[in-house]
Amino acid sequence: MSELKRTLFYERHVAAGATMVDFGGWEMPIQYPDGIVTEHLATRSGCGLFDVSHMGRFRITGNDAKAFLQHVLTSNVSALDLNQAQYAIIPNENGGAIDDAYLYRFVEDAYILVVNAANAEKDWTHLSREIKAFDAQMENKSEAVALLSIQGPKSKQILSDMANGAFLTEPVKNALGTVTLCGKTAHIAKTGYTGEPVGYEIFCLREDGLFLWDELVRRGAKPIGLGARDTLRMEAGLPLYGHELGLDKDGNEIPIFAISLARFAVSFAEEKKGMIGRAPLERQFAASSRVLNRDFSDLRKLPRRVRPIALTGRGVLRAGFPVYKDGKEIGYVTSGTMIPRYVVENQGSLLETFTDQKAMRSIGLALLDSDVLTDDVVEVDIRGSKISAVVPAWHLRGDAPPYARPIVVDAPEEPKDKPSANLPASALNLLKKAADNHAWRQEQCINLIPSEMTASRAVRLLSGSDPSFRYAEHKRTASFYDHEVFYYQGTKFIDEVERALVAELVKYFHCTEVEARVISGQMSNVTVFSALMDYKNRLDRKRTPKRLGYILNNHIIKGGHLSAQPMGALHDYVAIDPATERSAVVNFPVLRENLFKIDVEETKKVIERYRPEFIIFGKSMVLHKEPVREIRAFVDEQRISTTIMYDMAHVLGLVGPHFQMPFEEGAEIVTGSTHKTFFGPQRGVIAVNYKEDELKYDLWKTIQTRTFPGAVSNHHLGTVVGLLMAAYEMNAFGDEYQKNVIANAKSFARSLKAAGLDVAGDPAIGYTETHQVIVKTGYGTGPEVAERLEENNVIVNYQATPEEEGFTASGALRLGVSEMTRFGFGSKEFEQLANLIADCVLRNKPIASEVAKLRAGYTTLGYCFGDEAVKKALDALAITSGI
Amino acid sequence: MTLQNDRKYTSSHEWLLDLGNGTYRVGLSDYAQSSLGDIVFIDLPQLGDTVTAETSLGDVESVKAVSEVLSPVSGTVTATNEALSSAPESINTDPYGAWLIEVGSATGFAELMDASAYETFCANA
Repeated sequence: MSELKRTLFYERHVAAGATMVDFGGWEMPIQYPDGIVTEHLATRSGCGLFDVSHMGRFRITGNDAKAFLQHVLTSNVSALDLNQAQYAIIPNENGGAIDDAYLYRFVEDAYILVVNAANAEKDWTHLSREIKAFDAQMENKSEAVALLSIQGPKSKQILSDMANGAFLTEPVKNALGTVTLCGKTAHIAKTGYTGEPVGYEIFCLREDGLFLWDELVRRGAKPIGLGARDTLRMEAGLPLYGHELGLDKDGNEIPIFAISLARFAVSFAEEKKGMIGRAPLERQFAASSRVLNRDFSDLRKLPRRVRPIALTGRGVLRAGFPVYKDGKEIGYVTSGTMIPRYVVENQGSLLETFTDQKAMRSIGLALLDSDVLTDDVVEVDIRGSKISAVVPAWHLRGDAPPYARPIVVDAPEEPKDKPSANLPASALNLLKKAADNHAWRQEQCINLIPSEMTASRAVRLLSGSDPSFRYAEHKRTASFYDHEVFYYQGTKFIDEVERALVAELVKYFHCTEVEARVISGQMSNVTVFSALMDYKNRLDRKRTPKRLGYILNNHIIKGGHLSAQPMGALHDYVAIDPATERSAVVNFPVLRENLFKIDVEETKKVIERYRPEFIIFGKSMVLHKEPVREIRAFVDEQRISTTIMYDMAHVLGLVGPHFQMPFEEGAEIVTGSTHKTFFGPQRGVIAVNYKEDELKYDLWKTIQTRTFPGAVSNHHLGTVVGLLMAAYEMNAFGDEYQKNVIANAKSFARSLKAAGLDVAGDPAIGYTETHQVIVKTGYGTGPEVAERLEENNVIVNYQATPEEEGFTASGALRLGVSEMTRFGFGSKEFEQLANLIADCVLRNKPIASEVAKLRAGYTTLGYCFGDEAVKKALDALAITSGI
Repeated sequence: MTLQNDRKYTSSHEWLLDLGNGTYRVGLSDYAQSSLGDIVFIDLPQLGDTVTAETSLGDVESVKAVSEVLSPVSGTVTATNEALSSAPESINTDPYGAWLIEVGSATGFAELMDASAYETFCANA
């Protein structure tokens, strides 16, 4: 005991009244006077501060640094870009764990490996032995570098204040950054061991450690001992070496694939041929895949897995307790205790909030037979009594930042609606409610959702009248000189409409060809992706087609839309890069000083490095023009063979000299939806600028066949007619509309700013070059503020800024002026509206009746045909069609 | 550490309060609750059970660990503190108010200390 080591922060712990214990040879705080329960909850609702300087910190450099790490770690170090961290396990020859670790890459040519305190010596010995075969060096930095961790929803604000608001890290897990905190340089990592979606580890020089500790405490970070660190990680389901990794209670090796994290943390990439334990790990992986497929025929390589366990009877789970199912022993508890949580209000909704009330639950982790299924009911032997328990999927979820949210086993299920017991009454009720909703949205509400629009009466009537609900499949046929051949009769009117529509859209886009049968923007993109993949493989039809990659797009957090993301519409078309084992997608870099704008010079470097075969411009949070012209010039100059597409969904109605002329600037393909800034019903469109004598005209032909018969059979004929009217309207009134929309957006942004709101973007250009304005309301407040505005008749959507983790952490509103511009709003009306919004957002004043009053004066839609002849024709159509 | 002069203490940190009529109240000392940390669960005997001095009457569990509670008295359980099952943490906040059980027909006792002797004992622990 006399030889216990102490961290830099020892005196701070003692001064704060901590109870100190021996932990892995270190004298560490188990808890402070407030106790584990309070510390746990303070982390979940605020910010916990952890001394993690007892952990081992090894710095690895040298020509073979990566090769060495690929050999001694399970993770794929080739997937670790600069400013990223990754979880890894240090495997032994048997496929068991020597330790688990985290690998950080703060600079291009050095890696930091952080290992468990209790294993640091063992790890050092093992790694030192292995590194001899490599041209690489390892240095023990555990003394020179202090390591702190702050975890919890308030940690970001505390750190941001200390960095004077400077950019910390990308708002994603495992992102790194180097920042100056109150004058001290520190490496920070968006990592942690608590399950908190927002939390940072701070690497600083030893001499700066105490200063930063004191500063963090002064700003509200609460010191947390090892006791709560354990309950936090247990609730998060994270393994602890010695419990869930290493040896089991009988002294047998726990296979690495017993922990679910292994499926992310173990790589069999080509570069890892020589990984220690590769062969047994491959056998475990195969066994794990069988088990996940519920094939329990051979469990030898993976007899048991670590699962969450929650006690439903009375008592407290403790490590070592045996677990039974149907009377048979199926494993034992590896970690367990009683863990606090906050009781929430509005459980299961975005507006869920913690109350002051706490509740306790006995939960933990257990090593259980691999054939145990989620939600299985089991029994735990607690000192001779069999107490009931369940194996839930998880105890905690961190995917709705900024909070880690407890998932309890007895949460009520979402009630499902029952079918109507009185159909005529339900039918009547539906009609009445639809009328009420229509009146509210059209007469009392001000709609500022930038992806929405009210269509003219003509567009709406045409969309509902015949040939709505009919079919008109048609296809160009080579035998008939590539003319369209229709499959059904009764289609002459729609044939005429479609030809006219294409002509109007070709004129609008200044392009050669338009496909207008796609029925949504998302479908437009999927169709292009499918066509590009088909085109790529057209010269070799005897092999499974290769997917697309690399693709350059806007990251979803920087405003990119899911219709061009691997988890969205790209899902089935993008390749996996075998080196990184990730989707072959790279993102446009953005300017540090303006995260809403693409950094053209950095983009050129990315293009040179990845030589993307496909470049997708376009965003759903869009304040700027996209640099199509600059990137086209660069790829031409570099002779990079690529396809440039601009997904203009949000700005389709702004195509023209007031915004962008995509084809003149060098785009080859434009996709979009026809109902955002454009005037149409909800459809999609694909425009291309290929000429008949070009090689890529074949890509256009493929786009048509991927549309029909690829994507649609029925292309919703009514709305095709509506879209033709919208195209007429746009070609007649678009110039004036576009000019006014952009002027109104700039003027609205200025008024919002003058009213005291925090408007995002560059004031030098009037904050926006589009129809959108972004207003920051404060981290995580977006959903609540948007709901409050809806209660006050202003419809907006909450929006995560490029610094925020995702929609649940949104701290901004996205506002669009296009619809109200069509209803006649100008700068004066937008100024009135800005002041009302400021009253509601900043002062919580009720504004519903004033908003309704303002709206009442502007209910006639403009920028459409409205002369007497048109009105008479509309009335006649309404009567004839019965609408 | 707080103490109450109206009761006796054991070396295993329980207290015993004489209620008169041969009935005694049993609880945990401030020293005990402080060493245990956050108390999260308590397992008590049933009414009518017999308890024996210096043997376990039940368990008290904190986040960190489980501990046996040794009875300071032999006799029959005449009352249990039901409030503890939903609020075991009241032992942390009010160790001398949050009693565990009452024992009647006392037939024997563990070795007991008065407050000042117990204070000395804890100081040397």
